[in-house]
Amino acid sequence: MSDDVHSLIGAWAVDAVDDDERRRVEAHLLECESCAAEAVELREAAGRLSDVLLTDPPPELRDRVLAATSRTGQEAAPAPRRRPARRPGTLRVPRRRLALGAAALALAAAFAGVFATWQVMRSTDAPLAESEMAAVLEAPDADVAVQRAEGGGRVTVVFSAELDQAVVVVSDLAEIGDDRSYQVWLVDEAGQTSAGVMDPGDSSATMLVDGLGDTEIVGLTNEPAGGSDQPTEPMIADLALPA
Amino acid sequence: MRTAKLVVRRAGMENAQCTHTPRTSGRPVRTRGAPVGAVVDTVSAETLLLRSGRGEHDAFTELYGLVSPRVYGICLRVLRDRAQSEEVAQEVLVEIWRTASRYDERLGSATSWVATIAHRRAVDRVRSSQAAGDRERRAAAEATVAPVDPVADAAERRLEHRQVRRCLKTLTDLQHRAVTLAYYGGYTYRQVAALLDTAVPTVKTRIRDGLGKLRDCLEASR
Repeated sequence: MSDDVHSLIGAWAVDAVDDDERRRVEAHLLECESCAAEAVELREAAGRLSDVLLTDPPPELRDRVLAATSRTGQEAAPAPRRRPARRPGTLRVPRRRLALGAAALALAAAFAGVFATWQVMRSTDAPLAESEMAAVLEAPDADVAVQRAEGGGRVTVVFSAELDQAVVVVSDLAEIGDDRSYQVWLVDEAGQTSAGVMDPGDSSATMLVDGLGDTEIVGLTNEPAGGSDQPTEPMIADLALPA
Repeated sequence: MRTAKLVVRRAGMENAQCTHTPRTSGRPVRTRGAPVGAVVDTVSAETLLLRSGRGEHDAFTELYGLVSPRVYGICLRVLRDRAQSEEVAQEVLVEIWRTASRYDERLGSATSWVATIAHRRAVDRVRSSQAAGDRERRAAAEATVAPVDPVADAAERRLEHRQVRRCLKTLTDLQHRAVTLAYYGGYTYRQVAALLDTAVPTVKTRIRDGLGKLRDCLEASR
C-alpha cells in the first residue's frame, strides 16, 4: 500500500494522478521524509518542462487580468482577525495564526495539499522553534489524518499524543454566509467538546488544539454564526485519530 | 518484484537526500549567479511575487510580464484551445494575485509555484471538459511525435530552453514519452499507459525515474 503510494510520486509531480491518489500521495509525504525531498525536486524538474512552452498571451489578457486583480481582494496575509468564541467549561483552545506556520499551511490548503505542511516540518531555518504549532508538527510521534469535507475542502489534523496537542488545518470548505460558522469538535467516549469556532463566513482556518486527551475523532460541523454547544449533525468531516 | 526494485532505488535516494536537504531553501541563492534569461526571471519573479503578496499591485503588474507567457503557454499546451487557454490563464493569474501572500520562498521557486498552479488548473479543466474525448483522439495520434512545441522555436534563444530539450534527450524513449504525455498532454498515468500500450506500473515507474533523470541533468548543467 505504502509502496503503491510511494511509486506515484512522479505521476503526482506532473499532475498525472486523480484526486484521490493526489490526496493519498500528499498524506504520505508528511510521513516519509525521503519521499518528500524527492517530491520537491521532481516537482521543480516538472516545472522546468514549461520552459519550452513560453508563449506571449494576447494583449487583451493583460488588460483583463490587471482589471480583475485591481478589484479583487487578496487573501489576507496570515494575521489574527478576530478572537474565536471561547466557550466556558471547555478545554483551553488557543487558536493561532502564526506567521510562518499559517502561511505555509495555507499554501498547503491552496494547491500543494499537505505537501507544503511537510515543508514547514523540514524548514530548519524557520523561526518556528518557539511556536507550539511547530512543536506539534515536529514532534517525533506526530501523525497525520486527512479527510475531504462533505461539500468541498479538506481537513488536515497533525497530532502528537506526547504533546497532547494537534494542529488542525481547515481549508477551502464550501462557502457559507456570515450567519454561519464552521466549528471543530473533539469527540471521545464522553461526548463532544468544542475545539474552536471559526469566524463567521470563513472557510479556511488553522488552529492549535490543546488538551487532546482521549480524543477519538476530530469533527467538523456547520453551525449558526458563533458556534453551538452541541454539534449539529451530520458532521461534514470526522477524522479518526488512531489510539 | 517491482517493489523490491523501488526499495533499492529509494535507499539510494535517501542518502542523496540527506546531503541535499538544504538545496530547496538555497535555490534562489544558487540561481542568482547564473547569467541568462529565465534564470534572471526566476529571481525577480520571487521578489515580485512576495511584493504582490503584500498588496503591491505595481509589483503584480510587473510579475504579469514575467510569468504570463509561462501560464498561457502551459494552458495552451495542455488545453490546445486558445479561447479556453485564455480563460484558464486568466483564472490562474488572478489566483496568483489573490493567493500571493501564501507564497513562501522556502516552499520552492516562484517559477515552480506559478507553473504548478497553472498546470494543475489546466489539467483540471481538460479532465472536466467535454472536449476530452476529442482531445484524446487527437493526442493519441500525436503520441509518437516529438513533444516539441512550434511556439518554443520563438523562444529558443533562451539557454534554459535548450537545457530542458537537451536533458529530455537523456531520457529513454519510454521515459521521454511517458513524462511528456503526462506533463504536456495532461494525461493521467493510466491514460498514458493506454496510449503507449504499456503496463500501468511500468508507466508509473518511468514517469518517476524519467523525472529523476531530468532533475539530475538540469542540476548538473547549472
